[in-house]
Amino acid sequence: MSEGFRFFTSAPLESPAGHVASDLESLKAGIATVSPESIFQHVTRMPVRFPHARDLPENDFARWVGDALQLPEVSERLAFAGTMPAASLEEVRAALLAVLNRVPERDRKRSASEGASFEFLEARNVLADLGIEAADPAQVVEIWPQLDDAATFLHLVEAPIFGRTEYALIPWLRARGARGLADSAAKAVAAGPPVARLHRVIGTKWRRSMIGRRLVDRIDAAEEVRLREARETMTRLAEKLKGEGRA
Amino acid sequence: MSAAPEGLSTTGAATTGVLPARSGWLERYARVVGAETLRALEALARKMKGHRIVMVNTTKTGGGVAEILHRVVVILNELGIPTTWEVMEGDAGFFGVTKRMHNALHGHVIPLTEEDREIYRERTRIEAKRLALDGDLIMIHDPQPAALIDLRRRPGQYWIWRCHIDLSRRDEAYWEFVRPAVEQYDAAIFSHVQFVPPLSVPAILVPPSIDPFAEKNREMEEEEVESIVERLGLEPHGPWVTQISRFDRIKDPIGVLEAFRLVRARRPAKLLLAGGGASDDPEGAEVLAEVREKAKDVEDVEILELPPQSDAEINALQRMSTVVLQKSLREGFALTVSEALWKRRAVVASAVGGIPLQILDERTGLLVRSIEGTAFQTVRLLDNPELRRELGAEGRIHVRDNFLHTREVRDYLAVFARVVGKGPV
Repeated sequence: MSEGFRFFTSAPLESPAGHVASDLESLKAGIATVSPESIFQHVTRMPVRFPHARDLPENDFARWVGDALQLPEVSERLAFAGTMPAASLEEVRAALLAVLNRVPERDRKRSASEGASFEFLEARNVLADLGIEAADPAQVVEIWPQLDDAATFLHLVEAPIFGRTEYALIPWLRARGARGLADSAAKAVAAGPPVARLHRVIGTKWRRSMIGRRLVDRIDAAEEVRLREARETMTRLAEKLKGEGRA
Repeated sequence: MSAAPEGLSTTGAATTGVLPARSGWLERYARVVGAETLRALEALARKMKGHRIVMVNTTKTGGGVAEILHRVVVILNELGIPTTWEVMEGDAGFFGVTKRMHNALHGHVIPLTEEDREIYRERTRIEAKRLALDGDLIMIHDPQPAALIDLRRRPGQYWIWRCHIDLSRRDEAYWEFVRPAVEQYDAAIFSHVQFVPPLSVPAILVPPSIDPFAEKNREMEEEEVESIVERLGLEPHGPWVTQISRFDRIKDPIGVLEAFRLVRARRPAKLLLAGGGASDDPEGAEVLAEVREKAKDVEDVEILELPPQSDAEINALQRMSTVVLQKSLREGFALTVSEALWKRRAVVASAVGGIPLQILDERTGLLVRSIEGTAFQTVRLLDNPELRRELGAEGRIHVRDNFLHTREVRDYLAVFARVVGKGPV
């Protein structure tokens, strides 16, 4: 096993999955049979498709049932079934099907108007090496701000879901004894926020968690070095506060 | 003739190297989309090191495809992938056939004659001898140059067909004429899933995108907006409700007038219907005349026929709008919506074609399905500046993340990686 953790970005290639739904029965048939990459596209990828959303939209199935079939109750249930960011795609598929199996007979007859059918897509990602490698968990914290949204999503959500352990960051951190960093990242992932917020939250938590360690490291540093670093920190804080004031 | 975007030779002179220093457009884009996004784009570009791209279309100026290519070719070169742009030439006969082909593939019923077929084949033969298709990745844009693959594909090349048009209502006779060529490609790219016809080659979806630095979208000071608005003879103080779109029945300008009549009965506001398409299209002129007639019965309505190349005017009109409408009955992708969102405008639009990809209801704008719905949501926005501000802010971010040229370049790089066997992994 390589000692370092290498960071990649990913670019999605979306294509038709070969199934079209016009009512709940055909939606159910589609969800039951499409590839895991299709469930991934319509449910799990929402946080990276809308990375900076203040409020993440419901998954595609829930939105379509609400908008095109005008079935708000079913839509709500599908939305909730899709909010399991760390769940396997088969678990997500089962949860969605369980909702559709409970729909009363009268609602199953509702069909979408012409041109409003649901076209299943699937996404397969092309990975590209960012040319950045962390030798240890502390370097991951330093490197973290350089990652784009797709890289963040790949290493925290996508890789574990598709069993690509070589790209999964949290197990790598655990294996190197950084349990605190791994736990805080796992907790943030489980909340399922848009990926830009996920990136920010984890970065902040990790930096804070390193304060104690940095202080310990600095005990042996010369007084003038500590004073200089303290001045630099205060300058950065002042700049940040000024910036916030302007905004 | 070979066409090259500003600052590049037609022979593909390009920056090369593994990690090109960011310059020119990449640097400008980095300020909009962030350094991390640019770093990701550079990583994808490194994957394509050693390859050479040739883009082919039929015009260097005018039209959305040429606009996109002008910028995308520069960006690819700045990323270190030598990319050239070849333009297929033709005479009036050829462009007559391709214009009919374009309209027929959009759903107009037009007979395809044997003479048309022969004109198309003959021009393809002539251009196949002339064009410099010397890259290993050839991206052919739209149906006009599609048949070049019959005559010019050589071993080691990968050919990709990029279809920018909506084929959902295609005339089957024309499509069957083009399809055998398309099915020789390694992949076909479409803007929206509804536009994909049955095909034996992989179909990939790449939505179109806008250029934030183009005249139509660039930042504009309030004084400039006011001066353009004044020059157009419009009252600068609104509130203005606008639909800036071709005078075409599918854009439903009459429906817009009906909706505005309902709005005007409840709130003081002005409506502007502005667009082109009336001077070179008999049906457009007919629609414009009908709209003018109908508008006589509605208070506070202005109608403007915009000539081609009115990009600065469109920019200013969108920026002066309190509410932007796109009340189409059906649509292709409708990038006018992204253009308005980029300017932080509050948009009310029909849930058709590519619009729901741009408007996430109640998040980046408001989706409607009826005249009354359009009136209701317009009044709601006129009354609520905070909601307008929130939707506009979220809309701009959504466009930045999904509908700028950098995202289209990223998708093309991923397609190239896939066809040459470097992904997906």
